Amino acid sequence: MSENQPLSRSDAPLFLERLAGIVGDDNCLSRPEELYTYGCDGVTLDAHVPSAVVLPADRDQVVAVVATCREFERSFVPRGAGTGLSGGAVAMDGAVVICLSRMVEIVEVDAENRIAVVQPGVVNAHLSDAIVHLGLFYAPDPSSQQACTIGGNVAENSGGPHTLKYGTTTNHVLSVEMVLPDASVVRLGSAAGFAPGYDLVGAAVGSEGTLGIVTEVTVRLVEIPEAVKTMLAIFDDVPAACRLVGRVIRSGMVPAALEVVDRRTIRAVEASVYAAGLPTDAGAVLIIELDGAACEMESLTDRIRELAVGEGVRELRIARDADERALFWRARKGAFGAMGRLAPDLYVHDAVVPRASLPEVLEEICAIGDRYELTLSNVFHAGDGNLHPNISFDRRDEDELARVVAAGREMLELCVRVGGVLTGEHGVGMEKRDYMGLLFTPEDLEAMRRLRDAFNPDGVCNPGKVIPTTRACTEANPRARGYDQVPL
Amino acid sequence: MGVAANSSCLEALREVVGEGASALEPARGVAGGHFVTEVAPKTIEELSDSLRALTAQGESVLVEGAGTQMHYGNPVEGAATLLSCRNLSGVVEFDSADGVIQAGAGTPLRELAEVVAAEGWLLPLDPPDRGGSLGGVLATAVSGPRERGLGPVRDAVLGLDTVLASGDRARCGARVVKNVTGYDMAKLYVGSLGTLGVIEKAWLRLKPVPLSCRLVELEVPPSDETFALALAAVRRGSARGVALRSVAANSHEGPEGSLGLVAEFAGEAPATEADADWLLRGRTAWAPAEGGMDAVRDLQGLPLPGGLRARVHVLPAGLAEAWRCLEGPGVELLAYPEPAVLHARFAPRPNGADDFAWLGEVLTRLDGMRHSLDAQVVIEEMPAGAPGDHDVFRGTPNLGLMRAIKDRFDPSRILNPGRFAGRI
Repeated sequence: MSENQPLSRSDAPLFLERLAGIVGDDNCLSRPEELYTYGCDGVTLDAHVPSAVVLPADRDQVVAVVATCREFERSFVPRGAGTGLSGGAVAMDGAVVICLSRMVEIVEVDAENRIAVVQPGVVNAHLSDAIVHLGLFYAPDPSSQQACTIGGNVAENSGGPHTLKYGTTTNHVLSVEMVLPDASVVRLGSAAGFAPGYDLVGAAVGSEGTLGIVTEVTVRLVEIPEAVKTMLAIFDDVPAACRLVGRVIRSGMVPAALEVVDRRTIRAVEASVYAAGLPTDAGAVLIIELDGAACEMESLTDRIRELAVGEGVRELRIARDADERALFWRARKGAFGAMGRLAPDLYVHDAVVPRASLPEVLEEICAIGDRYELTLSNVFHAGDGNLHPNISFDRRDEDELARVVAAGREMLELCVRVGGVLTGEHGVGMEKRDYMGLLFTPEDLEAMRRLRDAFNPDGVCNPGKVIPTTRACTEANPRARGYDQVPL
Repeated sequence: MGVAANSSCLEALREVVGEGASALEPARGVAGGHFVTEVAPKTIEELSDSLRALTAQGESVLVEGAGTQMHYGNPVEGAATLLSCRNLSGVVEFDSADGVIQAGAGTPLRELAEVVAAEGWLLPLDPPDRGGSLGGVLATAVSGPRERGLGPVRDAVLGLDTVLASGDRARCGARVVKNVTGYDMAKLYVGSLGTLGVIEKAWLRLKPVPLSCRLVELEVPPSDETFALALAAVRRGSARGVALRSVAANSHEGPEGSLGLVAEFAGEAPATEADADWLLRGRTAWAPAEGGMDAVRDLQGLPLPGGLRARVHVLPAGLAEAWRCLEGPGVELLAYPEPAVLHARFAPRPNGADDFAWLGEVLTRLDGMRHSLDAQVVIEEMPAGAPGDHDVFRGTPNLGLMRAIKDRFDPSRILNPGRFAGRI
């Protein structure tokens, strides 16, 4: 991995001058108060302030910035909106942040071929908004879609509540233009969905900005379904809701979404501005969303109702119109905001388990939370087996913080033990890098390193992410270090 | 590769797999190579030890599954040992509650499809060749006519256990249906024709068996409207696959120049009925032929001895033009509207002076489409004995990056040397 040596007294201003010459003074940030903004992403426990931040306007500026960083031997980190939840966009050891948030152009929408070409800074939801009049949308919908960028989604292979039916980002990216760490430009994949040779676009999606900097993305667009049916199945406990999820999956139906919200979350939501009229004595609600042709909604709804009754559902509400549908989703989408009522800090975990094991795993996760005396709530993509145990805490309480970290590790160990994985959509980044040894052998990780080295042989592009350094495989833990700053 | 070198290779292999290594007598000719030794490991440990021994000997191998797709890819270079995955066979774990299955690379695809069907699941792999093995299907990653509904081959793969040329075992992914833990390495192995690692077993995601299936077959004129109709049909919610095929001039099926349109709708009964009725409205259906979409799939995979078979990927809007670029005497075409793929079969047309003049013309036409239509072209079958040195993966971009990957996974070029794009 590259480590940045301090620049000499004369080189530091020269470096900044050169960067500013490329992107303009206003888009080259180096004052401490400007840099602090970029010290972390959505994970705020472990922050590292970059030595500089540049905001290029186009591909050529990215190329020039990368070339300049190479010349001055500085590592660099691509960043979108900074909404990531694994510390993937954090610049360690005085790296330079290359923030793509100015590259917001929707370059082309080709409705006939159902593709769009976008710059990486385009906000996820903006693309769907821009094509709604064509009857099309961009399917991956991470919860942060009002803010997160498509470039960031490509880096993280982002999912969302509708992954169950529509897949994650990798299923929707046909081609990317990428600036490699040697400042050359390549186009991976093709708009036709196939390019001869290795599936480099498949390897690039989800590589967390460690292979290069994506400067253009060609995505697949999907037709807006004719009909949508949203239901709320109200249960006395989470395992019962999870058992219904298992039944639905086994039945052969593929709903657009199957999302569970637990009691603590319901209560937080109902006490907040997101209140959706949910019974606060319920143990769990399962949001079931079906979409497709209008003619199939009735038979699908009947089948869901039958399964829900068989699982002892307390109440099944079916949204009558778009407003009520939005209300149902408010409980889900407002959950993270509502948790601000529980404690000053929130640790959003992310792991995946086999769907059939959800009821038992959820019980064990709650037991871990109880054992560590933590305030734990669960909001998750049950249809994918993608858990989000959320721990509300106060980082100023060092003892509580230590318990948060220890419980998080136990939860991950539990998930791995039942055949699950460390992350389903947030990525490894910095946060889970040192947990990779829980799941992978050194040989498995070495294969990943071989791929990274083919693109990024000197490790200058987003160093310190995804793959643990050899000695740290199973040892280190993420912990609060406060703000760490390495200047130029 | 000398005979002496190969006998020492056989000895080395026998040391690690015993009877699992044997001399091939007579030698076998396959994929442009000449093979005198075969090793067929039964476990991942034997696979790992075999590759370690081969690497130590500097001996390259041709990796084989069921051996049904060995015409696919460029000729192998300098390998005299066959590595057969046929004994890495069988279902390892089937979680029918979760709809996932793990099976060995040598498992016959048919067997796997039957195992999952017995529990109400559908194997979302529908390659043109039904006789293949799981590993072969993943290594070639060629989809059949139902890609629209089943997804591409890569989407079916959740996790892989592979062994690299060094003998190192490298696992990626897992059994869960959503996962971003580390790089998506499976994407790299799928479709890489065994040049980066040998797949030992795979976790696959299954799809539910549809409750209802409707097949529609129409005779349609070869017009732009027909291509637009096929595209609209494949974009219906329940469409699993749509195909257009040229109808032979002497066929009783329709007038010369007409096309056959085959559409398969699968899912909830009200949706498949509605979609089939939409397509049939105002049109006369043919009596569904024997086999329906399966017959289309079999046609796609039908070998063409002495001829050339090509696969052309374009954007949906470019399919009609691609079709027109290639149609002509002795050419049979099969097109899928989205993802838009054209399968072209060129019968050999020797003339007195030059048996292969036609081949040059065909390649020129195909390469022309790469430029005029941004098409991506793979020759799936080259006529035996064709002169010249033609990479069957036409115009592969980013070869520098691809070679850098190959160099890091298989620096001594032990695995399938020369077979892949750019002779990797």
